[in-house]
Amino acid sequence: MALSAATKAATDALSINRAPTSVNPQEVHRWLQSFNWDFAQNRTKYPTKYHMANDTKEQFKLIAKEYARMESVKDERQFGTLLDGLTRLGAGNRMHPRWGETMKVASNFLEVGEYNAIAASAMLWDSATAAEQKNGYLAQVLDEIRHTHQCGFVNYYYAKHYHDPAGHNDARRTRAIGPLWKGMKRVFADGFISGDAVECSINLQLVGEACFTNPLIVAITEWASANGDEITPTVFLSIETDELRHMANGYQTVVSIANDPAAQKYLNTDLNNAFWTQQKYFTPVLGMLFEYGSKYKVEPWVKTWNRWVYEDWGGIWIGRLAKYGVQSPPSLRDAKKDAYWAHHDLFLLAYALWPTGFFRLSLPDEEDMEWFEANYPGWDAHYGKILREWKALGCEDPKSGFLPIQWLAENGHQVYVDRVSQVPFCPSLAKSSVTTRIHEYNGQKHSFSDEWGERMWLTEPERYECQSIFEQYGGRELSDVIVEGHGLRSDEETLIAQPHVRADKLWTIDDIKRANCVFADPLSAL
Amino acid sequence: MPNYKIHQNPVRNEWLEKIAALENVKDATAFLQDFRMKYTTPLRTSYELDVDYLFIEAKAEERLSLLKVAAFSNEDLLSMATTGETAADVAQAWMPKLESEKCKFTGERIHMEFRQLYKPPVLPVNVFLKIDSYLGSRLMELRNSNYYDCSLDELREQRGVKVLMLGDAA
Repeated sequence: MALSAATKAATDALSINRAPTSVNPQEVHRWLQSFNWDFAQNRTKYPTKYHMANDTKEQFKLIAKEYARMESVKDERQFGTLLDGLTRLGAGNRMHPRWGETMKVASNFLEVGEYNAIAASAMLWDSATAAEQKNGYLAQVLDEIRHTHQCGFVNYYYAKHYHDPAGHNDARRTRAIGPLWKGMKRVFADGFISGDAVECSINLQLVGEACFTNPLIVAITEWASANGDEITPTVFLSIETDELRHMANGYQTVVSIANDPAAQKYLNTDLNNAFWTQQKYFTPVLGMLFEYGSKYKVEPWVKTWNRWVYEDWGGIWIGRLAKYGVQSPPSLRDAKKDAYWAHHDLFLLAYALWPTGFFRLSLPDEEDMEWFEANYPGWDAHYGKILREWKALGCEDPKSGFLPIQWLAENGHQVYVDRVSQVPFCPSLAKSSVTTRIHEYNGQKHSFSDEWGERMWLTEPERYECQSIFEQYGGRELSDVIVEGHGLRSDEETLIAQPHVRADKLWTIDDIKRANCVFADPLSAL
Repeated sequence: MPNYKIHQNPVRNEWLEKIAALENVKDATAFLQDFRMKYTTPLRTSYELDVDYLFIEAKAEERLSLLKVAAFSNEDLLSMATTGETAADVAQAWMPKLESEKCKFTGERIHMEFRQLYKPPVLPVNVFLKIDSYLGSRLMELRNSNYYDCSLDELREQRGVKVLMLGDAA
């Protein structure tokens, strides 16, 4: 049988360049470096405006054997702790129930991000031409596979040990109806794997990993610990030990294109769009999960955000890349405003749409409300007032038949979905940087909530064609949509989502049906 | 807005029947190209199938793939379009179209039309990706040069959108 060209090339290279006889890792690494290919004709199958240099280095210089040894030690520690010590302590059921619900969102969504990051780093492997740079991306592919398993295991563990497993066991089945899913897919999937290959690296490595994994994977462990959860820190900190390598890959991506004159034309635009894409979802969602999905508060989200997003990433990390022409994104100023109010805006809408979720939300109690007002002056007069009214109208009690989404419609508060980020917004109630823009183009109406996203859509409309839940389900009754979208527990009566974390007074599909809530698309009325 | 279930709805069933009636590569290719021109991309002529078009397109592609596999030799599967053109001829015809194009709107029309007409299984994947990647890279260069030069008002006008509402949050 004839040898393939690749096998022949490897065989020829081995006969000229004998393998080292010692096992010194650096010697092995140097030997591996000596293997290279002619990439002149090997154009990647992914589109890109950039040209990645053929002599780019990789900072970690890991070889497969060292990598496997290191990761297996981490896995042994993590799974050993989870399956022995923490199981004996009953740790899977000892956190505050609000936090147990928060982890249904965090671990399921992060799993999607990690899964797409496998493809994203493999795409970069295909796009790079330097052997060392490819090696760095390849290690990241392996990391992302590990992380996907870890997040899946967190859900599996909670599904076995947490007292309310619904949502941990099969969240994905609700993906068509939950309003948080589509925005998550925008940042964690589209942002990582569609479009320019280098832009994807900027989304994944330069923004997603270097900027938002600090709050998403590190800060979350502080909140978890404060709320009695020892599972999340055990797993997420193990994940974070790999993220440094990914941040280094993002740095090297920029280094690899720095000498390409064309890069200066595109790089800062791509960085700004990537930052806005990521922050538009993560800033409100993480803030909401931390502050509204916990009983014991660590610090106001706006402080965490300022420290890690604004100062550490926007200042220090991007500052280190300044010598390559990289500038802090101009959209940081709007993002800073979002860090203060956007998560409160989102909680109102998430709570209003609670029946479509795969997790339970609960109203802040009086102690929480004092905390919100103390840390976000003006919160009580705006958000607190509405939440108190909803509580008085019986939003937690299935007998009341009161659904906040109907209250919004009856009081003239239209809820739109931003076409680009897929994040819902309510112009008449928002205190964040929301500015409404609604356009008609080629017979279709589109709503946007900010100038950055609008410009992205005006430039590349084919990237943002996802329908909103209102476009999908307009005219249909809510209980019918929930049944079709698999929003019920295994008894086929009780909703997975609930507007409280109590053990009793669970809403059933009949309670929803009695409310006679019909989806309406606000765009169709214009 | 369709007031029916997302899965197994009457619209999808009606299109599934049309697709099942396709019996040769030529008809299935014409059907798929016509469907994509009418119902896909922002250039589509109708949003009537907005919540169903991806399902219908996938089923039409599936049908064409099966007909193609039955009709084509192994060699043709890698080198022929289902339109009867050679894949190499398609590449030669389409890649130069964006070579010297300076207008991003014309560029995007060319790229979208290429996808509407030739997205697999019309073209073999190996050739489609090569052309698509090239056209995509050129389009990105056009779109991303001088990205902030135009104001939003100018961009809206260039895009041809009708502004229905502009306003700050209350």
